[in-house]
Amino acid sequence: MAGKPASDQDRVAKQNQDYQAPGRAVGIAAMLSLVAFTAAFMTYQSTLLVEEPAVSLPAAGSGSSRFLANQAYLAADDLLGFVEIPAGEFTMGSNPLRDRMAYENERWSANQRQGRVQLPSYFIGRFEVTNAQFAAFLEATNAAMLAQFTERLAEGSAGEASADLPVTGITLPQMLSYARWLDAQLRESASTPAALREALESGARVTLPNEAEWEKAARGADGRVFPWGMDPSQAFANFGTSGLQPVGAIACDTCSYGLADMAGNAWELTRSPLRDYPFELELDATSLLSADSLWVMRGGSYSDGINNVRTAVRGAVDPSVRNQTIGFRLAISHL
Amino acid sequence: MSVASTQSEPTTLRLSQVLGSFKLPACLTLGILLLSLVPRIAGTPILQASFWGAAGALTLWQGFMLLHLARRPALKDFAPAVYSQHYVQAMVQFSVYLYWGYYWRPVYDHLWLIAGQILFAYTFGMLLAWSRRRSYQLGFGPVPIILSTNLFLWFHDEWFYMQFVMIAVGFLGKEFVRWNREGRSVHIFNPSAFSLGFFSLILIFTGTTELTWAPEISSTLTLAPGIYTYLFAVGLIVMYFFKITLVSGAAAMTLFGFSALYAAIAGVPYFLDSEIPAAVFLGLHLLITDPSTSPRTPLGKTLFGMLYGIGVFALYTILGYFGEPTLYDKLLCVPLLNLSVIAIDRLVRRISSETVLNLWNPAWFEDRGNVAHMAVWVSVFVIMSLLGRTDAQHPGDSVPFWEESCAAGLPNACARLVSVESTYCSDNAAWACNELGAYYREGEIVAPDADLAFGYFARACELKFQAGCGNLLQEQALLRAEPLELDLRLMLRQGGKNLMGASLPELYERACRHDWAFACERGDVSAGGE
Repeated sequence: MAGKPASDQDRVAKQNQDYQAPGRAVGIAAMLSLVAFTAAFMTYQSTLLVEEPAVSLPAAGSGSSRFLANQAYLAADDLLGFVEIPAGEFTMGSNPLRDRMAYENERWSANQRQGRVQLPSYFIGRFEVTNAQFAAFLEATNAAMLAQFTERLAEGSAGEASADLPVTGITLPQMLSYARWLDAQLRESASTPAALREALESGARVTLPNEAEWEKAARGADGRVFPWGMDPSQAFANFGTSGLQPVGAIACDTCSYGLADMAGNAWELTRSPLRDYPFELELDATSLLSADSLWVMRGGSYSDGINNVRTAVRGAVDPSVRNQTIGFRLAISHL
Repeated sequence: MSVASTQSEPTTLRLSQVLGSFKLPACLTLGILLLSLVPRIAGTPILQASFWGAAGALTLWQGFMLLHLARRPALKDFAPAVYSQHYVQAMVQFSVYLYWGYYWRPVYDHLWLIAGQILFAYTFGMLLAWSRRRSYQLGFGPVPIILSTNLFLWFHDEWFYMQFVMIAVGFLGKEFVRWNREGRSVHIFNPSAFSLGFFSLILIFTGTTELTWAPEISSTLTLAPGIYTYLFAVGLIVMYFFKITLVSGAAAMTLFGFSALYAAIAGVPYFLDSEIPAAVFLGLHLLITDPSTSPRTPLGKTLFGMLYGIGVFALYTILGYFGEPTLYDKLLCVPLLNLSVIAIDRLVRRISSETVLNLWNPAWFEDRGNVAHMAVWVSVFVIMSLLGRTDAQHPGDSVPFWEESCAAGLPNACARLVSVESTYCSDNAAWACNELGAYYREGEIVAPDADLAFGYFARACELKFQAGCGNLLQEQALLRAEPLELDLRLMLRQGGKNLMGASLPELYERACRHDWAFACERGDVSAGGE
């Protein structure tokens, strides 16, 4: 052996004897450190999963005192932006003899152009629901969606003015969620106006108006073709333009019940499924289940022409539609 | 240790000779970097950064070793270690990926990431061996470890760096967590099962199970038609070559037996929609069958397999009880079983009766013991298949079955009904969302929760289910309706069949077979109308 040159294997074996390789204790410590790091890192990740994202809410009503920041950005008036519509009959549908732009689906029946509908009293929003109001709801209920919502608003580049724009691009169930949330807020709040409280305590609830409630509020008891009267006019509504405007930006002293934007700005979804007239107040299960999944919207939008901003126009969309021209307003109704 | 000797000896080695060994790890590290440029990886910045991070860590390690060698040269070498149990296992696992991926494409997308992990595993193994002053056993060893790990768990792209940590933990465990078994120092844990077990625990305890694809991996195996038969067939190859029939067979038969016993007593299946979940069936063929971490005697192997079956069975309920994902049942018990191997060996050695010891291996089998065991296993599987307990339609896959079982008050049936419908609702079956909303509004089979009910109705409504919209509008009423056509296409995909192109008569006929009474009537009308 002595005269034989040492092989590589021998050299390695010799060096292994001389060199103290990292021992098992070191190795296990390294492995456990990795495991501990993983556990700590995962714990941190789990906190990120539930952490509410930082968002900046649109500044509602900035520069004006039209909305109350401490009351979910509802309007600053005696009834928090709601207007009472008295009980009584009104004329529903269109008479082509008086309204040459009437569509076929506005006809009451085969034998009758228009119908008379009796409604109990109810409240309806003076304005369409705004971005700030909807953001307040999301802030209280759904932080993840709030982040998406505010991001979308920021992309809209409307800046601070976006707060008072009508909220659009949300689905019918999301609108109903907002209504349900506001219902609970108004019931709990000590500062809810007595008239609203009384209505809520007597069985009314915050919801979307049905078709009849919406139409009566828009045309009043005198059967107007437009909220401001019988004749077309560009002066009282945002239609045929390129974008939304803050709610109530266009004054309309002559409009029924002093409501704003009942024509144009954003289409307003109702809680009525699309069915042929005559309109029935009772929503029976059989007809609801047999109807197509389309829900009526009213009032037209900024992108429509004069024919679609009439008080009797009936549009319809499916409940999952998110469209930048479709918003809503609220009602407090016993129906 | 003599300082003089360590200083004089290295002069016999040329530095170029030492550096030569590092060509392979350097190339593999470069391979990881190159892989980071493929569109699948480069398209996600954090995934690409994960690959760079892994390559960076390996480069640092190599740099550290080279610096050390510059002062004290030592040979870093390889020892050939090509074992059939590695490459056969790897080929079988790869075939599973190919078959499964054909029906669930994310698997094919993931193959690039598996390639990166294999390069990382080889490099990590080499550097670890050389740091320990050992020759690196160059063969196919890392491949089945990586393939096996990825058959059960992989992280989403955003957290993929944890996959490299998981591999590192597996290799460190193999290197350092060892014991003396029959006079040899061997690793205690199956490397992939060790890291899978550890990480499963961490994911469960930190509530981060959603950071991985584990639920999808577990549930999409059945998208491949006849997956049980396929796994059974490839399992036979492993059984034949490596004599693990007793382990897999005992585990499968224990699970089949317990499932059947539970169903006979309770009237409902134990596992939701199978006798053995497909992922468990995969696990008992490819996860627990490492010969170095399982018992050697026939009786020991049988006990080992039975304990796996019992472990999975028990963990399924325990995890479910604590509201944790039950899919981890097959992973958590393997490290515990590995720990029990010496105890099982001891127990078997204490048995003095030759009859008992050779119960599964009588003398007349001679060398044909494993083939005989395989024959028994084949018979059992064929019988189970003929009884419709493998790939055939399972009663638990039918919603009406769970509705009836719940109405009859059978154990766990209502919870299972809610669970099944939650899955379908997540798949956008509007009918299931409306039903869930109804349960939470009624408060009969679950605690009433008006907010949750509203949420489910909202989802049903957005999916154009009129009853859901009606329920949103009228909180006092409760509207129900039959499933829509699309709902049926989503809820009848038992076995993973794509029903989107099925004709209406086919759809109703299938629904009728799944106990949807209304579909039987409509099927008649539909067929009659044609």
